[in-house]
Amino acid sequence: MPQDLPPVGGYEPVQYKRNLPARGFRPSVLLMGVAGIMAFGFYKVGKGIREQNELAREKMWSRIHLIPLLTAEEDRDLVRRHLADQAREKELLGSASSPYNSDRFVRPTYAITPSQKSN
Amino acid sequence: MSGRKAVFNQTTLIDTTPLPADIPAVTEIGASSAPLLSASFFIGARCKPYNDDFMQCKTENPGKGEVECLKEGRRVTRCARSVGRLKRRWQGSRDRARKGGRGPEERRHSYKEVFTDWAYTDRLDDVNKHCLAEFRKHWTCLDNNNQQLWQCRAQEWKLNKCVFDNLKLEKVIPDTPAGETPIHLRTRQTYSHHNSGP
Repeated sequence: MPQDLPPVGGYEPVQYKRNLPARGFRPSVLLMGVAGIMAFGFYKVGKGIREQNELAREKMWSRIHLIPLLTAEEDRDLVRRHLADQAREKELLGSASSPYNSDRFVRPTYAITPSQKSN
Repeated sequence: MSGRKAVFNQTTLIDTTPLPADIPAVTEIGASSAPLLSASFFIGARCKPYNDDFMQCKTENPGKGEVECLKEGRRVTRCARSVGRLKRRWQGSRDRARKGGRGPEERRHSYKEVFTDWAYTDRLDDVNKHCLAEFRKHWTCLDNNNQQLWQCRAQEWKLNKCVFDNLKLEKVIPDTPAGETPIHLRTRQTYSHHNSGP
C-alpha cells in the first residue's frame, strides 16, 4: 500500500497572515492631521491665555485706580470709630490710655456693640 | 486671624458717633461696586495726582497713615466724586420690563426690596451729568454679568466715547504690550457670552 505523500509540487502555502483591507488614511497622514489639530488647539489656547492676561491687567488697574478712594473711606471710618472710642474711654475712666507702647495706629480687633440691635 | 481686616460694618456694629468738628466733613462716594468699576479708569485718569499723593502719604507714615492722611484722603474722595452730584433712584426695573425676561411685577418688587434709596445713588458727578444713560447702562450690565468687563464692551464703548467727548477723560490701561490693540478696544472678545459687535 503506497504511503500518503505530499502532492506533486508541494503543498500550497498556509495562509496564516490576516488578509484585511487597509482602511483609512496612511499613518503618516493621520499623524500629520493630529499634529495639525493639536497645533491649532494650542494656538487658540495661547491666544486665550494672552487675552486673559490682558483682561487681568485691566481688572487689576481698575482696582488700582479705586484703592486710594476705598482706603480713604475706610480710614476715615476707622479714625472716626477710634476717636469715638477714646472719647468714650475718657468719659468712663477719666483719661484716655493706650494699651499699646507705641504711637502707631492699631486697627481695632474688637468693637463695642450696642446693647440692642440698631436699625 | 492676625491678617484679618477689622471692618465693622455689620448691622450690630454700628457706631454712629460722627467725626469731631475740627476734622472737615466730606461726603462719601456712596456708589456701589459696579458704578465704581465702570468709572474706575476715569477716576484714575482725573485723580491720579491726588491718588498718588494719598498713597505716598500712607507709605511715608507707616502705622499712622490712617490719622495722618485724612486730608489727602478727603481730596481723593472729593476728586472721585467730581468725576461722576445727581442723586437718582434705581430705575432698572422699568428697563427690565421693556426688555422682557422675568415678570416686571416680580422684578420691581425684588429690586425695591433689595436696593434702598442710598445704595444706588451713583455719585460720580461729571459722568452723571453728561453721560448718565450710558453710564447706567454699562454698570447695570456689569451688575448683571458678574462684573465681568468683557461681557459689556458695547456699553463700555458708548460710555467711553461719551466721556471722552464731554470730559476729555480716556480709558488707558498702563503697561499694555506695544503693538497690540488694548483689550477694551478689541472687537472680538473671546470670553464673552455674546457678540458685542463692532
